[in-house]
Amino acid sequence: MSSTQITGAVLVVGGGIGGIQSSLDLAESGFKVYLVEKSPAIGGTMPQLDKTFPTNDCSMCILSPKLVECGRHLNIEILTNAELKGISGKPGNFKAVIEQKPRYVAMDKCTGCGDCAEKCPVKLPDLFNKGLSQRKAIFRLFEQAYPPTFAIDKEACKECNVCVKLCKAEAIDFEMEPKTQEINVGSVILSPGFEEFDAGLIANYGYGIFKNVITSIEFERILSASGPYQGQLLRPSDMKPPKRIAWIQCVGSRDIHRVNNNYCSAVCCTYAIKEAIVAKEHSSIDLDTTIFYIDIRTYGKGFESYYKRAKEEHGVRFVKSEIHRIYRDDNENLILRFSDDNRIREEEYDLVVLSVGVTQSEANQKLAIKLGIQLNQHGFCLTEDFSPVKTSQAGIFAAGVFSGPKDIPETVMEASAAASEASGILATARHSLTRDKEYPPENNIIGEKPRIGVFICHCGINIGSVVDISDVKDYAATLENVVFVEDSLFTCSQDSQQRIKERIEEYSLNRVVVAACTPRTHEPLFQETLRETGLNKYLFEMANIRDQCSWVHQRQPEKATEKAKDLIRMSVAKAKLNEPLFQTKLEVNHSALVVGGGISGMVSALAIARQGFEVHVIEKSSRFGGIANNIHSTIEGSDVQVYLKELIDKVSSNPLIHLHTETEIQDVSGYVGNFKTRLVIGEVEEVKEITHGVVVIASGGDIYKPNEYLYAINPNVFSLIELEGEIAKKNKLISTSRNIVLIQCVGSRDDERPYCSRACCSEAVKLALELKKLNSDVNIYILYRDIRTYGFKEQYYLEAREKGVLFIPYDVSDKPAVEAINKEGKDIIKVTVNDLLLNESFSIDADILALATAIIPSPESAKLAGLFKVPLNEDGFFMEAHIKLRPVDFPTEGVFVCGLAHSPKLIEESIIQSKAAASRAGIILSKDRIESNAMVSTIDKDKCSGCGMCVELCPFIAIEIDVIDNTAIINEALCKGCGVCASSCRCGAVDIMGFTDNEIYSMIKTGALECWGNV
Amino acid sequence: MTDVSSKIREEARKLLKNGEVDVIIGFEKGSIPFSATPCFVRNEADTDKLIWNEYCGNNLARYLSEVRGKAGIIAKGCDTRAIVELIKEKQIQRERISIIGVPCEGMLDRKRIMMSCQRKDKTGIEDQDGQLLTRGDSLNTAVKKDEFLYPACHVCTNRNPVMYDVLIGNTIEERKTDDFADVTEFDEKHSEERWAYITDEIGRCIRCYACRNACPLCYCKECFVDSTQPQWVGKTTEQSDTLSFHIMRSIHLAGRCIECGACERACPVLVDIRILNRKMSADVKNLFGYKTGLDIDQPAPLSIFKPDDSEEFMLDV
Amino acid sequence: MGKIDTNWEPRIIAFLCNWCSYAGADLAGVGRMQYPANVRVIRVPCSGRISPFFILSSLQNGADGVLVSGCHPGDCHYLTGNYSARRKFALLKSQLEHIGIEKERVQFTWVSASEGGKFAEVINRVTETVRALGPAKKLVKKCL
Repeated sequence: MSSTQITGAVLVVGGGIGGIQSSLDLAESGFKVYLVEKSPAIGGTMPQLDKTFPTNDCSMCILSPKLVECGRHLNIEILTNAELKGISGKPGNFKAVIEQKPRYVAMDKCTGCGDCAEKCPVKLPDLFNKGLSQRKAIFRLFEQAYPPTFAIDKEACKECNVCVKLCKAEAIDFEMEPKTQEINVGSVILSPGFEEFDAGLIANYGYGIFKNVITSIEFERILSASGPYQGQLLRPSDMKPPKRIAWIQCVGSRDIHRVNNNYCSAVCCTYAIKEAIVAKEHSSIDLDTTIFYIDIRTYGKGFESYYKRAKEEHGVRFVKSEIHRIYRDDNENLILRFSDDNRIREEEYDLVVLSVGVTQSEANQKLAIKLGIQLNQHGFCLTEDFSPVKTSQAGIFAAGVFSGPKDIPETVMEASAAASEASGILATARHSLTRDKEYPPENNIIGEKPRIGVFICHCGINIGSVVDISDVKDYAATLENVVFVEDSLFTCSQDSQQRIKERIEEYSLNRVVVAACTPRTHEPLFQETLRETGLNKYLFEMANIRDQCSWVHQRQPEKATEKAKDLIRMSVAKAKLNEPLFQTKLEVNHSALVVGGGISGMVSALAIARQGFEVHVIEKSSRFGGIANNIHSTIEGSDVQVYLKELIDKVSSNPLIHLHTETEIQDVSGYVGNFKTRLVIGEVEEVKEITHGVVVIASGGDIYKPNEYLYAINPNVFSLIELEGEIAKKNKLISTSRNIVLIQCVGSRDDERPYCSRACCSEAVKLALELKKLNSDVNIYILYRDIRTYGFKEQYYLEAREKGVLFIPYDVSDKPAVEAINKEGKDIIKVTVNDLLLNESFSIDADILALATAIIPSPESAKLAGLFKVPLNEDGFFMEAHIKLRPVDFPTEGVFVCGLAHSPKLIEESIIQSKAAASRAGIILSKDRIESNAMVSTIDKDKCSGCGMCVELCPFIAIEIDVIDNTAIINEALCKGCGVCASSCRCGAVDIMGFTDNEIYSMIKTGALECWGNV
Repeated sequence: MTDVSSKIREEARKLLKNGEVDVIIGFEKGSIPFSATPCFVRNEADTDKLIWNEYCGNNLARYLSEVRGKAGIIAKGCDTRAIVELIKEKQIQRERISIIGVPCEGMLDRKRIMMSCQRKDKTGIEDQDGQLLTRGDSLNTAVKKDEFLYPACHVCTNRNPVMYDVLIGNTIEERKTDDFADVTEFDEKHSEERWAYITDEIGRCIRCYACRNACPLCYCKECFVDSTQPQWVGKTTEQSDTLSFHIMRSIHLAGRCIECGACERACPVLVDIRILNRKMSADVKNLFGYKTGLDIDQPAPLSIFKPDDSEEFMLDV
Repeated sequence: MGKIDTNWEPRIIAFLCNWCSYAGADLAGVGRMQYPANVRVIRVPCSGRISPFFILSSLQNGADGVLVSGCHPGDCHYLTGNYSARRKFALLKSQLEHIGIEKERVQFTWVSASEGGKFAEVINRVTETVRALGPAKKLVKKCL
């Protein structure tokens, strides 16, 4: 295929966090993106969540910068209220038909002021709040929604025309028609999300009838500060704070009797723990929280210690019991019956939260059928374990819950992985459809006397009805250096932008202050206007006289007017000191270094090479494949060795990939776009220096070697991975064994290694099934603490149970006892275990004992962490930049992580993460130059005493001490401009461009007292 | 005491002779009674002027970053704590200094000794076997030297050097840990009483900056009080400016002040400057479990954090 | 005490981090939550940008109260800016109290981007406590 045939654009379906991530990755690496979202705003499920586990980060806080970034991206076209109707063509050249429902509000006119919704007489249940509150017929999905434009629910709307009369921007248009368009794209990514399980389907729980039985997502909304109860923890029946809350797990999941769902929803255990912790924090009384569960599946990174903290620090109670029915009493309280310690008990709760699972929506299934995409038995998109984001249609990829239940970081990784796949197909058409905006050259204003123009916005009546604009306008004109003041109905409208440009020219303005809504949403727009006239965009200040003034002081017009004057005075004072700022451009070396030659390293290298970039892969041993050399099949039955061989062949034959075995890193210098790494190769220790723009750390993990359970003492005791090897070798011992015991969590979830090793439960079930296949008479006992066959792995657990594998729960404080004995002339291993369910101790005469040994960090990790200046977590695995939204990035730009180096995981998950790392790496590699942030830290060398305080505090490792003159130097490529350095420098040597001490001081002085007026 | 002085001279001679250092920073006899003055000895012959007595109060670490070449330093506990901080803050390099450590039982405050003899009937004070004898027409009284110890020495917990190359004599017993009882006692007073005391003390400040100049850890090339862009603190001696200067200085020394009392010793108008620095030391210990100047590998408390640091000071909404 | 100015309104400077607290303040506006008009907001990138000088200067220049608000621990847009700031703030607040400045004059809090209600509540609380204290006298420059 030549580049003329390939369309350098991608269609992304679904505007949740997955779709947003795919879009950003692709747009940032040179492709045009059409993001199609069926609702009026992007965001998906995340905006509905209160906090995210296991860090309890505020969900909206971490998401909203991404919404804005995606929304404002020049090369992402967001189509809301839109659906994909069909696709034709082939990979590289698809035609997609998109149908867009009318919004009835013109997006280019609506300023998002909200006057319409305030007066709209039609009220209906707010589905964003799960019907727990009401919204109007003209509405915005949620406050921080992007696009911020309102939309009309035509079915509910009575067309009373109140909004039409109120809308000063004349944005409402009932005549809008549905629109169908055909777009050309080279690839498609489907991330349309999921639907929560309909709890009403389980009649015994009384959902929809009992007011105080709610779903987990409803509970999220209740907890949310922007939710229906403004974050107060109340129960719906009487709006009183509950004292006892119960969570019932696995509602609609792991349930083949009531709803025929034989998969685990993978997220509910941890979200229930989160909800219990957050509820306790919200409650003013000592809230009782109980989680009723089958197994607690806190298998993800950081989840196990979160679970432990919930139990030990927060006092969340966990009861291993299924709940079959909920009863209600006269006070709308709820009675749960359950078995605890083999006794039937009854307890009363004020509120019951059903931890509903995730399901595929009917609409998604229809979409899949329309596109000819195969679904699996559960109705989710079918993917293969070695190609986890590929659908059955070439060129169409899947990400997120569309292909199975998963958490946010896994969705984000899949989204990046899908972007990497798409960009692999379209590599030759990179930058063919993207736009770069051209601006006139910038006027040099340095040395000019400040000439400030102040533009004051009425925002329809939003500001003008409270703040006396003409008074404010007169006042602004008196301020020193202000040469022009003007007010307008909507300063953000298109014609106003034109007028601002004219005024800038006419009055030779060299600074602009806009007094209007908020810089968070509108600063980029006005800065754009400045750039279009040749003014540096940092010569701009905004006074927030709407969101933080007229809207919040509606009943105090005089005080609001005074405040507006003050805010303008402060902004003018700062604007006066504003200087043009410039982004530094840094050349980018277009090759990558991948550290580690296991599956993760090779997948990542291949994905980067497919995007058209050169890759060096270094492997410390003499052989590629890593731990996978000892794994023979996946639980789904795919042959790992065949896959590995193919992978090694592909990597070896790719001309862009250079392989270095028996190679280690001696030292690393440089930064994003420009790394220099010295390698030491082979026994002769040849030293070689390579330059590269990015690094992917795929250094793998290791397997724990136990000191317990007779391991390495008794020849019939193996680790699971060794047992797998013995099965593959057809060891006779296996075919002749009558009793085989597997002990789970050996070296995991204990005091030394508090984390869960995630893969072992699936491994154990896989091996049990294989052993049963070899000899159906063999007795297999799996001694476990919680069986964590999350997601679709659950069906194999069920299969194992059906085939007679015995699962015996033990308690960590009472671990199984293992003893080598000779019985009737035969060497056996006597395993004694106390069965927690039966509360009964018994012994098994095992022929083979296999231990599910922990996955531990590679001994290389600490060294690599030091070399690349990236952090490890307390368990010794690499610590990503953000556990939810930046799962393969580090705070240090240009360095990425994947595979076991990041945390224990299955092969399929390593593949996803490795492709995600390749996508993130591709963003940098695809650029000729990267622009640094202009609002960065700057050092006055004459003042710096080189104490190193800033070096230690910088979260981005952007500062180092120049050994020659013992002063700090800022790496502008790495600096994010947080200002921690500046506020901590005793010597006054550090400042932040755009937020200088001087600028802030001028605001302090003009803000503290009016008499400082003109400083 | 003379024994200590001679041992110091011996070590100093050795260092200079072997070329291990270019200069020895120590004390010589002061030109007025009850005093010792910092001196810089560059050749063996001059080592005889080095002395050691209970008037060697100055913190000599102050001079380390100013001398060129390798320096030997006669260092008390507090001097060595300053050295530890200065090494941590990259102002000096451990390999470029040679520390002759001297255990210290506390230094005497010449100013107060002199003041105590200003009664007309007194004719003089003599030092005799650990006691000060006040002579006069009608009285000959002996006062224990402890009465004239510097306030900082009263709460010193590191009378032995924390780091040294050679130690003169034997280590002496340390006092129990500092419980900051003085800070607690002060903070239990009514806020207006505290304000009255502090403004009274600080009110005497003449902005001479002797405190800053004596401090071993005040080494900024431009002090914040001299900044004009912006001018954080005005240059007047009005209360607002003076107090802001001292508050800011205490904040800059938080987690760094080694409590040698050099600031107070230097103050010509006897301002109780330590009232601010002691507070910061108490907070740094109580909030962050940190004591300054003990370990060069221990990160400064304001250069690190713990996710569960106390939020008691924050507004509870 | 001098004569009581019945028209006196406290003036409070608030330093808000761009990513959480400033957004929370905007959200209070979007929700039309009403609060007293005494606060003058200065937007900074991160609570970690806020130097103790900013707070002292505010008091010196005549502010009756100072409010500092950043992202909740763990939510910092710059990873750890609020953590290192928290240590500095703890010391400054303690020192101001030590010297006898009314402790309610300077307040620190965390407000997230979704806590419009909390922001309004914080402003209510801070304004009312500062109002109850009366005009700031200590630390204010005389030449005002």
